[in-house]
Amino acid sequence: MHDKELSHEESLKLISSMIGQAKDAYHDTGRGAMLWGIVIAICSIVKFTEIHFNYRLPFDIFLLTIVAIIPQIIISAKEQRNRNRSVKTYDEVFLKYIWIGFGIAIFLLIFINNAVFQSWQPVAKEYRELTGNAPVFQFSEFVPAYFLLLYGLPTFITGTACHFKPMLWGGIFCWVCCLITLYSNTETDMLLTALSALVAWFFPGLLMKREYQKSKRKESADV
Amino acid sequence: MFKDLDPILHAQLRLAVMSLLIGVKEAEFTFLKEKSKASAGNLSIQLNKLKEAGYIEINKQFRNNYPLTLCKITRKGVEAFEAYVLALQSYTQNPES
Repeated sequence: MHDKELSHEESLKLISSMIGQAKDAYHDTGRGAMLWGIVIAICSIVKFTEIHFNYRLPFDIFLLTIVAIIPQIIISAKEQRNRNRSVKTYDEVFLKYIWIGFGIAIFLLIFINNAVFQSWQPVAKEYRELTGNAPVFQFSEFVPAYFLLLYGLPTFITGTACHFKPMLWGGIFCWVCCLITLYSNTETDMLLTALSALVAWFFPGLLMKREYQKSKRKESADV
Repeated sequence: MFKDLDPILHAQLRLAVMSLLIGVKEAEFTFLKEKSKASAGNLSIQLNKLKEAGYIEINKQFRNNYPLTLCKITRKGVEAFEAYVLALQSYTQNPES
């Protein structure tokens, strides 16, 4: 390309071509989405088996989500290192903060739930002592709904911002499951959480990975 | 009455660079070079012209001991680009006037 003067039509054509190229500069590898999809699905299924087969692990299986932060950091660092086309898009920055905000919100929700449990326990104990019956209201039955509500939000935003329909529908699926869990027992809630994680993150992550590999192949062919 | 086209933007390589930068937060020199298919020397000259006009910011730093040049469009650059596109549209919509 040289510093030549352009006709008006050539100028418009050039602008649209360059804007299109810059727009295609960012492709998510899908690894993060796949990781969290599979981690949440495993945690939920293990929790389901604990309830269904009436056994207890010596630790809360959802602690696995804290361990999963390590591979997530490795994935992010590797992606940063492997980026050979060095450009930062607005979508990329916006989505990064959406998902960081989501991570913070999830950990805040865990703290809130623990605080509610601690406040509720003495009330439930007193109720049991006075009436001899277990309280009808069980806060734990509503916990999966809160999580699914949160899972849906960044997923839906990512799907709409990136025009990536599998995530858009994945976000909606989380919210539908969120409503169902209000009327289902905890076992079903766990299965719905596992299914939501697969539909909202794991399968879209697989598709993203395929798109990413396709764009990499195209890039290599262009070079 | 047609507006004059901004002479800074009405050149192939400078327009290509501005069109690339308008849609991204920032881009490295290598990205602009790859996309515009320009030579490094020519691209440097044109980037400096855009910088002198206040249309872009150039930030030079080091990454892993290698020099890194980051380019970012400024508010003035966005306004100039928008005005340029509007002027172009007025020409193409009324080509005979």
